[in-house]
Amino acid sequence: MKKQIKFIIFFFSLSLVLFSCTDLEIEETDSILAENFNGLTAEEANSSLTNMYNSLNNFIATQENLYALSEVTSDALLIPTRGSDWGDNGLWRQLHQHTWNPDHRFITNTWNEWNGLQLNASEIIDERTPASAEAKGEAYFLRALAMYIILDHYGQVPFRDTTVKPSVDPEVFTGADAVNFIVEDLNNAISSLPNATPNGDNQRATKTSAQLLLAKVLLNKHVYTNSEVNNADMNEVISLVDAITDAGFQLHDGYYDIFKEDTDSETIWYRPRAVGERIFHTLHYNSTELGGGGWNGFSTLAEYYDLYEGDPDSNRVDLEGNLLDGQEERRGGVPPQGIPIAEATDPLLNGDDNGDGFVDGSNVGSGFLLGQQYAPDGSPLEDRNGDPLSFTRNFFDAATGDPSLVDNNEVTGIRVIKYNPRFGGGFQNHLIFMRYADAYLMKAEAMFRAGQDPTTMINDLRTLRGASPLSSVSEQDILDERGRELFTETWRRNDLIRFGQYTRDWPFKDPSAVNNPDRKLFPIPATQVNLNPNLVQNPGY
Amino acid sequence: MKKMLLKHAFYIMAMLFSTAMLAQVTVTGVVSDQMGPLPGVNVLEKGTQNGTVTGFDGDFTLEVAEDATLVFSYVGFKTQEIAVNGQTTINVTLQEDAAKLDEVVVIGYGTTTVKDATGSVSSVASEDFNGGVISSPEQLIQGKTAGVQISVASGEPGAGTNVRIRGSNSIRSNNNPLFVVDGIPLSDESTVPATGGIVDGGSSARNPLSFINPNDIESISILKDASATAIYGSRGANGVVIVTTKSGKAGKDGVFTFNTNLSVSSAANDFDLFDAEAYRANILDVTGSPVPNVDDTGANTDWQDVITRTTFSSENNLTYSRAYTGGNLRASFSYTDQQGILEESSQERIVGRLNLRHRFLDDRLKLRIQSSISRVNDESPFIGAQAGASGNIIGAAYSAPPTWPNDPDFFVEGNRLNPANILAYYDSNTNTNRLLLNGSLEYEINSDFSAKLNLGYDRSDAEAQSIATADFNNNPGISGNGQTSFNTLEATSKLLEATVNYKKDFDNSNLDIIVGYSFQDFRRKGINSQGWGLGINADLPGTIDALRSRIRGPYQQFGYDADASFVNRLNPFDDNDQLPFFVHSIESLWVDTFDNTDELQSFFGRANYSFNDKFLFTATVRADGSSRFGGNNKYGIFPSGAFAWKISEEDFIGENVSTLKLRLSSGVTGNQAGLGYAQYLKRQRFAGPGIGDDGNVDRPGLATVAVQNEELKWESTFDMNLGVDFGWDFDRIRGSVDFYRKETSDLLFRQAAAAPAFDPFVFRNLQDGKVINQGVELNLGYDFIATQDSNFSVDFNIAYNDNKVEGLNGTTAEFGALNGPGLTNAFVQRLGEGRSLFSYYLAEYSEDADGNPNFSPDDKKFVDKDGLPDITTGLALNYTLGNFDASAFFTGQFGFYVYNNTANAFLNRTTFATNRNATPEALTRQSQEISTLYLEKGDFVRLQNLSLGYNFTLDQNSTLKSLRLSLNGQNLFLITGYSGLDPEVSSNTGDGGTGIPSASIDYTSFPRPRTITLGLNAKF
Repeated sequence: MKKQIKFIIFFFSLSLVLFSCTDLEIEETDSILAENFNGLTAEEANSSLTNMYNSLNNFIATQENLYALSEVTSDALLIPTRGSDWGDNGLWRQLHQHTWNPDHRFITNTWNEWNGLQLNASEIIDERTPASAEAKGEAYFLRALAMYIILDHYGQVPFRDTTVKPSVDPEVFTGADAVNFIVEDLNNAISSLPNATPNGDNQRATKTSAQLLLAKVLLNKHVYTNSEVNNADMNEVISLVDAITDAGFQLHDGYYDIFKEDTDSETIWYRPRAVGERIFHTLHYNSTELGGGGWNGFSTLAEYYDLYEGDPDSNRVDLEGNLLDGQEERRGGVPPQGIPIAEATDPLLNGDDNGDGFVDGSNVGSGFLLGQQYAPDGSPLEDRNGDPLSFTRNFFDAATGDPSLVDNNEVTGIRVIKYNPRFGGGFQNHLIFMRYADAYLMKAEAMFRAGQDPTTMINDLRTLRGASPLSSVSEQDILDERGRELFTETWRRNDLIRFGQYTRDWPFKDPSAVNNPDRKLFPIPATQVNLNPNLVQNPGY
Repeated sequence: MKKMLLKHAFYIMAMLFSTAMLAQVTVTGVVSDQMGPLPGVNVLEKGTQNGTVTGFDGDFTLEVAEDATLVFSYVGFKTQEIAVNGQTTINVTLQEDAAKLDEVVVIGYGTTTVKDATGSVSSVASEDFNGGVISSPEQLIQGKTAGVQISVASGEPGAGTNVRIRGSNSIRSNNNPLFVVDGIPLSDESTVPATGGIVDGGSSARNPLSFINPNDIESISILKDASATAIYGSRGANGVVIVTTKSGKAGKDGVFTFNTNLSVSSAANDFDLFDAEAYRANILDVTGSPVPNVDDTGANTDWQDVITRTTFSSENNLTYSRAYTGGNLRASFSYTDQQGILEESSQERIVGRLNLRHRFLDDRLKLRIQSSISRVNDESPFIGAQAGASGNIIGAAYSAPPTWPNDPDFFVEGNRLNPANILAYYDSNTNTNRLLLNGSLEYEINSDFSAKLNLGYDRSDAEAQSIATADFNNNPGISGNGQTSFNTLEATSKLLEATVNYKKDFDNSNLDIIVGYSFQDFRRKGINSQGWGLGINADLPGTIDALRSRIRGPYQQFGYDADASFVNRLNPFDDNDQLPFFVHSIESLWVDTFDNTDELQSFFGRANYSFNDKFLFTATVRADGSSRFGGNNKYGIFPSGAFAWKISEEDFIGENVSTLKLRLSSGVTGNQAGLGYAQYLKRQRFAGPGIGDDGNVDRPGLATVAVQNEELKWESTFDMNLGVDFGWDFDRIRGSVDFYRKETSDLLFRQAAAAPAFDPFVFRNLQDGKVINQGVELNLGYDFIATQDSNFSVDFNIAYNDNKVEGLNGTTAEFGALNGPGLTNAFVQRLGEGRSLFSYYLAEYSEDADGNPNFSPDDKKFVDKDGLPDITTGLALNYTLGNFDASAFFTGQFGFYVYNNTANAFLNRTTFATNRNATPEALTRQSQEISTLYLEKGDFVRLQNLSLGYNFTLDQNSTLKSLRLSLNGQNLFLITGYSGLDPEVSSNTGDGGTGIPSASIDYTSFPRPRTITLGLNAKF
């Protein structure tokens, strides 16, 4: 008995000794902990860059957020509701109608995402971070891109200094200050990064991508500074694009080849992220068996489609890809059937997993899908109601037949597809963010704005794309050419604003938004104005 | 060294005690109750500390003064005093104590009686527990106590439970009270890793208390006001629930109890979905076209029937209990198999418990050990409440056309799901082992002082695995490849508490002081992992084990895909390493580890002073230090004070008034739950990896997961309580009424961060912001019949709580996420100045003269309705007649609104027109836009429990000591105007980053079962 007691007492006293008073400090068991930020190591900076690129993949791949704000708010894309699909509490409808408010989720998300990217880049740029010149260069580029997207969409750029505590309110740049800050970062990036390689694997930031972005900033500068176009800026745009051309980039012959997972002479910056969202967001559920079918959402306005030459009511190609309705190459077309597996020559094409004798996904056309769609074996496809899967030019209420953005049936609207599912389903890891044709058209536009004639440049592009040459080029022609060449590449809103057309009327835009200059900027997310007194809500919100 | 010191201390104390006595007489005797001799009864010479405890046979021997009076006391019995008057043999029969207000109530670090409590404390003893199928302890007391709202998230076996004591104090989740089991405060965090991640929505929350066998519980105390909870300081703000397990009792030979329950359950309610014929007719009517050929296979499948079932569950308990001189023991073993009414849902629970008490050194050293070991196996179908556009298996069953065949391989295109396919090709299992060990040693230093050391060890080890095979339909990342996830969580908590107690009785007052020190740490470690492209016999845990054994040195994460592999290490930093070559049956895989520890250190004290047995004073203070805060905010101080006046003891109160007591209390308590690890420091980790739909796994880079914030501090609640306890006619009529007001400030929640920020939401204290809960609680009881062999009593409780948020200064947050087709990214609740938490913010529905919807869904506003009940109530009826007993228990909640997300997502005309099934009622809902069309009153009354029991009269010589048969029904009926299955919903439908849970959003809730249980209880 005594032994027992002794043992018990011993046990309890031992535990008293084991846990003496604690200072409540925590240890670095599964993370790096610090009371203050004092710079990253060179290795940490590289790893942080990896993280930034990984996050960027999703920022640009999703059909929401940046893509939605840039394209769905324009004449290029709209998503009617079909039954209950795509209602999403009005998110999509508000964007196309220009009736968004400061609570809109995509407006908040876009703000958060790109601002976050800026802060990560600033940590690498911080003087206390001994990163390599190239890593710093990439960080300068990514920060400039992030701040540019914020400036372009919101007109105000909050900036956080990494040497002060996170509780300090970020300062806010607007107008020329913001432009100058971005330009300086880009010049730093240009001076410390190597050129991109034409036909190369251009996944990361390069001197070339920085030059393209700088050209973009300068071309739009008058919008942000609310001033007249400055010829010096235009000349710099021209010389930046010339530098890109001198690096070996050129227009690629074969428009839809650019959007395949292989190299081309145009891609300046892409991310190895699957392109599934770009494919499935527009296709009908029954368009293809790949990926469980499409999501039957994104469509374009007939007036956008009509920017192209060709039969307005028909847009077909034959099995070899020959254009049957007088359209140019970029309008693409609907094939009559899939490619028999025996005739598949392109090594990038899918195989025939479902064993139907045709290349999987090859019944889906590229470009603008209008009219009857066909199964791989050539039989006409049906929608889920058993009606012909035949996309219409216009949007109308299924019950009343009146033009409408809501209550559509399953087949209204021309579908827009740039990456084709026949090449790897939705899994081509080749999401292009910057390409040479954009730079090329920026130069043409800069020449035009500087009083030079870009007709030859425009016609060279048009000829390559199978469109007839123009006799002369007007401002409208340049905008239209950009629309035709760069559809769904996230620049439509930016272009429309620069050309003064973002506030014009188009189908389903709310009357209150027509000619309303306030809609050229998105509101600062409601919570942010409250959190940072340096921000001022944009007019009209 | 320490050991020696303690030993010496014991001897010195012992010497102090040996004082000489004069004129002594030796008294012997036997103490018994109606059943026989009673061991363990305290026998005390009145006015002294001289005493003993009865032995095996209820016998005692005590030397006392000739003129002494003996006091016999035992828990649950009336205390008796007998004058010695020269007798040498005194035999006593103790009477059971029926008066409720003399009940012993367990409070923080001690016990009191209802009569002497100064704070607002309720206790429910095991005989008043709810019966039937009980998967966690909270369900035992659901509805029993005013002001305590307990809602089980759904009908799923082992589903999470929300307990709200006097409303919701915090904006974020974690409004659950602190649970203390036998003196060990449990961690507020989940003990089960999140499953899934492979299909939309993952799994539902599991109940962390499932590991306790309800049969082992003696009583559950609920501490409601700050006076009672302040002793738990930083963890007391949401109230405290103290679970006390049974200890060995009665009978020197020991008693075996065998207890078995057999239950049958079926869905209490279902939807009146169209059958094939009605579906065809209505589709033609609504859409103008017949059911498309692809949908109409000529089948007539009742999908609701396919996924639900009538099930049998069983629960078996075997207990051995025994008391002996110097101690007692109780051992129990239970096996419970609860089958859910949805296919592939079940919970299996095996619990063993051993409780020991032993007294040493003339009963002055008390050792107490409570230990339990348990295994819980949960099986869950695909029912995540956050499932996106396609919905989960429940949504799929409501919307799948009845013209589809019940065939797992029937292929469906587009964003509809085949329920049979999900049932066949999705599987999710979670297994949890938990060990809870508690040892305490209490030493009575002298008549005034005692010291206690309490040690606790709580370890839970859980593994969760989900698999969706390649045959899973219609998911780009799974179909054709298969995906699996395997997550583990080892949660370990160690507790050390030392307390010193001083008790002194003065002439007409007494003082009771306790001071203590407590240290508790909480370590959480484990892995999350995911595999894609499952070959034959793909074994994710096995593959991970094999890989882990091949990696040298510490690492945070690793993974591979077809192109490359990676190992990322933090310390020393290395993001270039790769995995060694390895043959595997999984095409891509990632593993991410975590391991962190939080600590709490506290100093506390409480003083109780009573004067004239009329005036009671309590003062409490606790200083808590937490490793979750930095700088000057590491420590928080939580004081409280209380006063009670037993008016019934006053002469001016008549004899009829058996109880009349006024209670006043006020205090401050804190809350840090849900804050998580290291939110006040800059914390960097490699970002969580992911698998693309094509099996692509990118090497993650370094990310900042928390930013430095030295200002982060406790959320604190200032609480005031005014209560009156009353009773007439020996408490035949009894009750209490309490008024309270609680003001929670420095609200902690994930607020939007000022951009640029690494994470768009950060934990911050909301300056000036307050959540105010105020209300009134009433408990009433009346014994209509109280005779020798017949009793009929009614107990009723009702509570009103008003909740509002103030001082937001423009801060806002959206929550109450909706899910389902066309509802992605939609929220219907938000914070509003002066409004209740969980206030609805949405468009008001209206129709034109023709009955067509006529409103703008963008026209959102606060509609003056919220998801929190204003009134919660319970009514218990108990009747006994001889050997027969019956009880009924009703519960109700009023004054709240439920958003019928299920109807909004699936059961409406618009969705029906997209070739999904519905009900006749659904076709009257013409708009699928979010509006008040789907906002319904949630008021309900439920017959929660009805039970009948019979105790057999047994022969004296029978081996059986007692035998009882019982029949119990749960959820027998529900009275409500709500059009969905059940308005009592608390599954979390998503938070959009804020960490704010949803309340009263009904999205494809697991149907609640109606359960009939036949029980047998035998003692031998």
